Amino acid sequence: MFAKPMAGRPLSRRTLLAALPTLLAARGARAFGDGSRFIPAVAQHGGRWDARVSGLRRIAWELQRRTSVEVVAEARPLGLGVRLFDYPFVYFGGEGDFPPLTGPELETLRRYLTYGGFLLADANDGSSGTGFDAAFRREMARVLPASPLQPLPSSHVVFKTFYLLDAAPGRLFTHPQLSAAVLGGRAAVLYSQNDLAGAWARDEGGDYAFEVVPGGEAQRELAVRAGINICMYALCLDYKDDAVHLPLILKKRR
Amino acid sequence: MTGGESTAWKLVSLSPLPTWALVLLGTAVVLGVGLASVGLRREPSARRRLVLGLLRVLAGAAALLLLLEPGVRHVQTSRVKNRMAVLVDRSASMSFPAAPGAASRSVAVAEALARLAPGLKALEERFGVEILGFEPAIVPVTEEVLRAVPPSGSRTDLLGALRALRATDSGGAKKLSGVLLFSDGADNAELQNGLTPRTRAELTGLGFPVSTVQVGDPSLLDVSVENLRVDDFAFVRNAVTVEVELRVRGFPGRDVPVVLEREGQVLGTRTVHIGGADETHPVSFSFTPDQTGRFVYTLSAPVFPGEAVTENNSRSFVLKVIRDRVRVLLVVGRPSWDERFLRGLLRQDANVDLVSFYILRTQSDDTQTRNPERELSLIPFPMEEIFDAKLHTFDVVVFQNFGHADPQLSIAQYERKLEQYVANGGALVAIGGDRAFGEGRTSYPVLDRALPVDAAGQGSSLGPYHVHLTPDGQRNPVTRVLPTAAASQAAWEELPSGSGLNLVKVKPGATVLLEDPGLQVNGRPAPLLALWDHGRGRAMALMTDDSWTWAFTVHRNGDPSRLYDRFWGNALRWLVRDPDLTNLQVTADPPSVEPGAPLGAVVTAREADYQPAGGAEVTVELSSVRDHRLVASAKATTAPDGTAHVAFPPQPVGAYRIHAVARSGERVLGEGDDAVAVRTVGPELTDPSVRADILSDLARSTGGKSYRLPLQGLPDLPLLDPPVVEVGRSKDRPLWDRWEWLVVLGTLLGLEWMLRRRYGYI
Repeated sequence: MFAKPMAGRPLSRRTLLAALPTLLAARGARAFGDGSRFIPAVAQHGGRWDARVSGLRRIAWELQRRTSVEVVAEARPLGLGVRLFDYPFVYFGGEGDFPPLTGPELETLRRYLTYGGFLLADANDGSSGTGFDAAFRREMARVLPASPLQPLPSSHVVFKTFYLLDAAPGRLFTHPQLSAAVLGGRAAVLYSQNDLAGAWARDEGGDYAFEVVPGGEAQRELAVRAGINICMYALCLDYKDDAVHLPLILKKRR
Repeated sequence: MTGGESTAWKLVSLSPLPTWALVLLGTAVVLGVGLASVGLRREPSARRRLVLGLLRVLAGAAALLLLLEPGVRHVQTSRVKNRMAVLVDRSASMSFPAAPGAASRSVAVAEALARLAPGLKALEERFGVEILGFEPAIVPVTEEVLRAVPPSGSRTDLLGALRALRATDSGGAKKLSGVLLFSDGADNAELQNGLTPRTRAELTGLGFPVSTVQVGDPSLLDVSVENLRVDDFAFVRNAVTVEVELRVRGFPGRDVPVVLEREGQVLGTRTVHIGGADETHPVSFSFTPDQTGRFVYTLSAPVFPGEAVTENNSRSFVLKVIRDRVRVLLVVGRPSWDERFLRGLLRQDANVDLVSFYILRTQSDDTQTRNPERELSLIPFPMEEIFDAKLHTFDVVVFQNFGHADPQLSIAQYERKLEQYVANGGALVAIGGDRAFGEGRTSYPVLDRALPVDAAGQGSSLGPYHVHLTPDGQRNPVTRVLPTAAASQAAWEELPSGSGLNLVKVKPGATVLLEDPGLQVNGRPAPLLALWDHGRGRAMALMTDDSWTWAFTVHRNGDPSRLYDRFWGNALRWLVRDPDLTNLQVTADPPSVEPGAPLGAVVTAREADYQPAGGAEVTVELSSVRDHRLVASAKATTAPDGTAHVAFPPQPVGAYRIHAVARSGERVLGEGDDAVAVRTVGPELTDPSVRADILSDLARSTGGKSYRLPLQGLPDLPLLDPPVVEVGRSKDRPLWDRWEWLVVLGTLLGLEWMLRRRYGYI
């Protein structure tokens, strides 16, 4: 299942224009080395890895606009080599099947995840059991054989790291649950089959690149919020599971 | 040792016949007399019956005399001179006054013995009189010793002393005929709660009477702190409970305050109202130690006029306060990779209790929500709670790229509290970034006083920096990430270059451990990591927000590195003054002593590179906590393993601080201190009671009598009589082996035969 490009939406432009002062103010803050900023890396693999690069730029931009996180609103394509270790957050998306990873790539990815790297996998084709889904599950079984992908319960901290959410829809909403590979209590890999970045992506004209189904713009906003929460989880881990937060969050969820 | 000799006699049988033969023959004689009586029953004349019966009885008696051969045995005898022990209680409680304003109980015994001397002298005709003391070992004492040497026994064990005395009873001249026991009866061993059936039976079985003399006046005035119950150690910031009993005798109607102090600092007061003449009240304190280390605590009650004993009005104890987990407050200006890897490390460390607050959103951020309260998981920044109410509960406060001008996020009003927190023993870490070290839109000048660096006014370096370990860094335990200095230096220098460095000036007294020689601040290499002591606390500044690369990027080539973990582990230990990371360790040995015992300390010195400092000159001073007066000092030289032992003479009761300084030549290696208590009282001196009940029961159980001082003379003591024994050889003189007695027997038998024939019986 491939995404269908959608027409531009004036509302999106207005939102963008309204947000510009905030964004510019934030960008006006003093820079201090990019090392500690959030920069999404995009993993280059043998398949169609670059279908949602604009979506990554967009979610970084939203992260800058909505939270206190300092970002570099770029998406940096990287091969699965040692340069990954400059970017603790990497996006691994694709449409359709992709060739198996090489041995060095597997080893690098395993080490990357083991020592603290975070991987957001996204089935841009919304597949299940075929296409990207089958290939990605196949490769993850090779990278982390002892930590298989498991469905993530809605009580997981990723659903409350910034926004209070119940699910993580994307361009599609066929799989309410995310999946995760857990290392040492930390979700090192989060995997969405709803094409998260498809909901974030914009075309060259600044319009959203794809329609969001079935929930439309409300679902797109939820997809952006899910992206913000995932980025926050990569940055803050289980901060929102600290005891100090629990009473208030439980109260809000009632 | 024996009494006078005398001669005695007794009748004995000298017959050579065996006993059974004598019994057989005697029976035959008795039968002969009996048959004769039966044969005379029909004799009408009473006179004839009497004569014939009498003759047969006399003949039987004569026959028995011939068979038994009676004789007189003359023997020499003598009475054994057994022992009689005067046993004097030499426990420390005998140093209490015998009566208010009077001399000690021990002196009272000496005076009593002087008065009893004539009586005891008289007893020496029959007994060997020994004067012994028990403390609790049994040793001979004299009146002079009782007067001159204060009793110091650490416990009173009356039954144990009597057992030990009985063990010396080996019979004969060593046999005990009785004991005269002088004591206050304040047993704190088996008889502490009075006699039990078992102890009563054992006393009865001693085999000699014990008479007791009560020493001391039971109607004394006294306030005592007794039965202290507290653990040997406690966890910092965890409540500790101390329980004691306040016993007040003779001050009815008074309010008695009990004060708990830690080395002069009052921690709490409890006031107890005394209703009766002799009351015991439990008193409980609960406090929360806020520092690790060893401290002397004292519980005391005031001294009232006329008290028999004043030393028991207070009790001291040593409490070792240890940490359970290092409690870290992590305050983060904004989420970043630097925060993420530090959090990951601290959360995984089982020795760290992490509390963290992140600023996830500022006023300028647009969350795109209509109802932020319901749509966001954010909570208000609880500044008042963490920087005011709970600040003291943290061992380390970490500000990571924190410096907000927003009034809702500014900590300006808590600056002074935070600076005081460090000055009073807390620990502060400032980690760099675009909001730290003057880079942000605000600064905290008061809090900055606690930091080892000042903003240089040159902004920050945005380009790459290279980590260089300074000479101080090679020796300092914080940056000692590998066993040797060379290996540590190599590990640091191999780190990937970072980006973003706050340019700061190092304050005088601060130590720079890491720097970038390629960047200059005021003509010196730009510091990357600096630390110092601020007041009683410590502070560390890390001038970058890129240290996460030490945890993550460093693994890109597949080489395992634990530099980041070890660096932060070392840093936390240094910040909380882990004893293992000090150059000089001082340990009181033992941590508390009985009055009169010497005090000691073990000092362990290390070089700056943490190698044992052998041959270092150590000066150790002992000062009183109460008035900070130096009471003793000692010098020692450390052994090759860096240790030295010093001893101080016994000190009066109280709390003391041991402070040590170690020098290698002119160079000071380090300073350290510890606490030691000369215990106010042991169990013996806690209670000046006179236990007349125990003394009288004890005497009754053994067949003795109980008395009380004063005694004008030696009473009539129940004593076992010494046994009489034969000495020398006996002489036998036969009484019945003459031939005349055979004639008498023949005559009697013949006369009876003749009369029987005449009367017609034959």
